Amino acid sequence: MDRKAIKKWLKDPEKMGNKYSLWAVYFCTGCGIIEVPPVITSRWDAERFGVIPVATPRQANLFLITGYVSVKTLRAIIRTYEQMREPKYTVGFGSCPINGGMYWDSYNTIKHLDKYIPIDGWIAGCMPRPEAVFIAVTHLWTLIDKGMANAYKKYRKQYKYYRRNQEMALGKLEWPPLYPISKDE
Amino acid sequence: MKIASFFLLPIIGFTVGIFFMGLSRRIMARIHWRYGPPLVQPLLDIIKLFHQRSISHGVIFEFGLLLSLAGGIVTLLFIPIGNICALNMSGGLLVVLYLMLLAPFGIALSGGEAANPNVSIGISRKMLLALSYEVPFLLALLAVMVEYNTISIVEIIELQRASSWGIVSLPLSGIALFLILPAMLGIRPFDMVEAPQEIASGPKVEYGGKFLALYTIERAFHEFIVIALFVNLFLGGANNPFTFFIKMLVIFTPFICISAVFPRFRIEQAIRFCWRLPTILALIGLIIASVWR
Repeated sequence: MDRKAIKKWLKDPEKMGNKYSLWAVYFCTGCGIIEVPPVITSRWDAERFGVIPVATPRQANLFLITGYVSVKTLRAIIRTYEQMREPKYTVGFGSCPINGGMYWDSYNTIKHLDKYIPIDGWIAGCMPRPEAVFIAVTHLWTLIDKGMANAYKKYRKQYKYYRRNQEMALGKLEWPPLYPISKDE
Repeated sequence: MKIASFFLLPIIGFTVGIFFMGLSRRIMARIHWRYGPPLVQPLLDIIKLFHQRSISHGVIFEFGLLLSLAGGIVTLLFIPIGNICALNMSGGLLVVLYLMLLAPFGIALSGGEAANPNVSIGISRKMLLALSYEVPFLLALLAVMVEYNTISIVEIIELQRASSWGIVSLPLSGIALFLILPAMLGIRPFDMVEAPQEIASGPKVEYGGKFLALYTIERAFHEFIVIALFVNLFLGGANNPFTFFIKMLVIFTPFICISAVFPRFRIEQAIRFCWRLPTILALIGLIIASVWR
């Protein structure tokens, strides 16, 4: 932290707090999670960026989707995402959540994750190197600074669209809607 | 001066507790050959948590947390820090003994409302751990009371200044209290209460946003109280807050190194540890102190 940052802190503590203390939820969706242990331990130390893993979605505000998303995992991802408290940020990691990747014709994985939950940014590659996580984090910082990391607001606004896609993928959902859905759209 | 100390003590407790949290994360990172977060990282986390939206599980959920926080602040007022002391009445040590139990009870009350199975396991472990360290803690404090023939912390400090430090006149009780300090602080060999890998961080699993921030502040107060009590009773207190702070740092740093290196105890191993060596040492110390007089 330099001296210029103090002025920013006094001006907008909420934004700066969200920036420098991103807590990631422990959630291992696919093979990409193998890149996360080196990220959070001694080799590439994520704690110097303020990124630490926490055990429960209630305390987390960063969600890393690491790797392919099977239909069974999608259910858990949606429930975890809805339990996280706002403001929350989502980053897709690897090429599988972007467009299916090497599982593009699989019967049991979903191809475009951003149809089901909103995504703030993507890390492309199969596999991305651990450094790519830090590039994503610093990029997320600039997005938060400019007020552009507002995917969670999009989820609230367009909940009807996301809910319909979730129901198409998973069949009937056993939990009630997170936000009220208006009938007249 | 008296009125000012009421406001000064919680501020000092908060600042030093948060500093110790940041320092422990930093030193632990260096032992792991990492760079580590900035020293103010716990403060940044608290600022973020206060701005996050959070949900409550009911009235008791909020009340229990506030109760434990209030218990921490009130306990802080009874502990002299250097020459600052808000409430120096004659029965200070007994009041501190009672009020220190308010924090785990408040958390138990608050976590029980959330009805999460992980919370129940964490609370039961917390109570068992409290039971296991209270026995040697009480025996060591009894030895102090018998040796100096008073239960006022301020008088104990003055008597130590007249003769010698408590760790010299009561070595066995001092060592016993030193051995159970990590259990009282709840750090690594004894962090089975908040084990994130086993029970998803235990009692704080349902806390988010403001509640987690208040919980972190309560932990900071607790950390400060436990170390300050040891410094007051066995290291002769201090003339000014700065010397006091140096003594606290000397006590706290070895525990960070221990917690960075050693794995976690299971709960029954922790009870076995606390009830074996520290209890025997404290008991012998108490017998020596009461026979010697």
